[in-house]
Amino acid sequence: MESIEASPLYPIANPKSIALFGASNNASSMGTSLLDSVLDLGFEGEIYPIHLKENQVQNLKAYRSVLDLPKVPDLALIVLPTRLVSETMDACGRKGIKHAIVISGGFKEVGGNGVKLEKDLIAVAKKHGIRYLGPNCIGVANPRQKLNTTFMTLEGGPGFIGMASQSGSFVTQMFTYLSDCALGFSTAFSVGNEANIDIVDCMEYLGACADTKVIALYIEGIRRGRAFVEMARSIVPKKPIVAFYIGGSEAGSRAGLSHTGALAGPDRLYEGIFRQSGIIRARSIMELFDYCWVLGSLPMSTGRRVLIQTHSGGPGAEAADACGRAGLELPSLSPETIKRLRPLMPQTGSISNPLDFTFGKNLTDYFSEIPKALLEEKNADYLLFYFFTPSRRLKRMLRQAGVAPDHIPEQTAKLVDFQSDAILRLIKTHDKPFVGYTFQSVTDPLLRRLVERGVPIFQGPERAALAIEAAYQYTCLRDKILASASQSFQPSAHLPA
Amino acid sequence: MKKKMRADDLIRSGLNRGQRALSEYESKKLLGLYGIPVTREKLSHSADEAVSVADGLGFPVVLKACSAELMHKSERGCIELNLRSKGDVREAYGRIIQGVDLELEGVLVQEMVPGQRELVVGLNRDSQFGPCVMLGIGGIMTEVFQDTVFRIAPLDTIEAKDMAEELRFKTILGAFRGQKPVDMDMLCHTLIAVGQIGLELETVSELDINPMIITPEGRVIAADALVVLRRDVK
Repeated sequence: MESIEASPLYPIANPKSIALFGASNNASSMGTSLLDSVLDLGFEGEIYPIHLKENQVQNLKAYRSVLDLPKVPDLALIVLPTRLVSETMDACGRKGIKHAIVISGGFKEVGGNGVKLEKDLIAVAKKHGIRYLGPNCIGVANPRQKLNTTFMTLEGGPGFIGMASQSGSFVTQMFTYLSDCALGFSTAFSVGNEANIDIVDCMEYLGACADTKVIALYIEGIRRGRAFVEMARSIVPKKPIVAFYIGGSEAGSRAGLSHTGALAGPDRLYEGIFRQSGIIRARSIMELFDYCWVLGSLPMSTGRRVLIQTHSGGPGAEAADACGRAGLELPSLSPETIKRLRPLMPQTGSISNPLDFTFGKNLTDYFSEIPKALLEEKNADYLLFYFFTPSRRLKRMLRQAGVAPDHIPEQTAKLVDFQSDAILRLIKTHDKPFVGYTFQSVTDPLLRRLVERGVPIFQGPERAALAIEAAYQYTCLRDKILASASQSFQPSAHLPA
Repeated sequence: MKKKMRADDLIRSGLNRGQRALSEYESKKLLGLYGIPVTREKLSHSADEAVSVADGLGFPVVLKACSAELMHKSERGCIELNLRSKGDVREAYGRIIQGVDLELEGVLVQEMVPGQRELVVGLNRDSQFGPCVMLGIGGIMTEVFQDTVFRIAPLDTIEAKDMAEELRFKTILGAFRGQKPVDMDMLCHTLIAVGQIGLELETVSELDINPMIITPEGRVIAADALVVLRRDVK
């Protein structure tokens, strides 16, 4: 692909004009709800509703036939009863439309006559050279283009996660979840039955998409196996790919005559294929986005040595345990760092890894000088930082310090700003990746402020440790593929010619 | 492509005889064509012949009933291990002939390869991904440990090494109770060659090398092998 504009998905994710089939003035119809989504996000291009009877649909001028449109739209959005889809596609083709999203279901996924209807659809689209997503999908969300063809309201802003999903829900149901972590999609595709455009095409598009820093895949089964591996291996040197795969249900696969056949269940096969493709495998949807969070927002470190900073033994021990189980290393502090830390730490504290501040002399140091020393420790690759001060505790401290009650909210806000600014400044001026963990809610003002500025803060150290390990894995997989590419394929010397 | 032609001949004659698989003897011949190290062995058709083959190979030896119909031998009393003398071989030959009610290609006399570490190497075909190479912990515990990793063919050395790296029980490949670490080059060449078989020989549907023994010196040798054939490919 020469440029992203050459992808069949470019007009689908960035249309300037859309013909919409299925919207009406009936508020309960799927098409109407979809038009509402498109309008709600403020799509700035032209929208042409096509309706057999109405002159106006949702205050937009409606057309009786796609052939009556004043121009050829970039994209057709089809949300009609299954039996009407093929003839609609044919009309689009006659108008000269080259790209479509078929939301309608009732095709191959239902079996029986649906299989035939899908074949008809494929034939009609092929005749006109139309490239399309679906059928049986929810389409695309591209917040930067203010495009949302799903039924769900798109909350939150654009982000850096490019998604291709074999389930529509893992696009739409994630809007709020991601927005709570101040994350978002660059572009998200629901691929449906993949009758024409498939997940490999989506990977190619997202690989070329400048707004996408990390690619997330939800996979139930891959059809173009070899193309998938090759595509992934061409993308991974530039950006990470994370996949959540579920498909191990056909346990034991087929009964082979060989051991190999019997052992080649889909889960094991995909495990190896992901690794060969350079793709990091997540074990749940939450893990998928945890990994994306770290991979998309932090500088890449090629090591896995983690320093832990806490104010208490328990959270430190738990973090150390989580890091150990995730395969991360906990290096000792160098003598220089120990020397720097000594004057900053209370008598009760422990200057080691995990570093335990206990009940500190000067809380300010916890957010400034101490993490600074740890970020500058040459024997480590990551700082895993424990956030323990919710704003309510700050308020109490101020009250005890004798601050007048009506000044407390203002003073609290100032303290929060001070702490978060101190952390943000450190992150900005150091190359070492910084990951937070906490048991407070991320709606706490301090945490919220940091999260909104792109600092990953996880609920509990386990998720943080796994995400750090995923980032380390990425650098290994990337280097493996680069090494492979730089050495030409050498047939084994032991093999006779 | 001389080896492909010779491999095709081997498979064609098996298919012409109506076989679903190659016998162990034929399977190893095919592996040998692709440079995969296999046990030294010879088919015998009488006790006298078995004794003289064993004498030539050097003791101890292994005797195995050999037939394309015998896909999993160990459960069926068709293997006699660790035979240390001519007398042992003669008696074992008799037991095998009596115990098996199949028409045999012969009785295979092979060197007894020392080594307690056993791997499994295999090939299968996936409808979406094509030929896939497997590496795992092998021997009779293969299904117990279920420690296996897969890659699609072709592989390069880097990917073959990464397969070994992915095994849960990969420590078995390192130095082990006074035995040397596995010859990684040799193992990688084997994995690459199995992938090559998958790509070049469409008539091979599945392949098992189990066990692939790691000797105390770290060499890998195919001690048993099974090549399952596909009849639907011309």
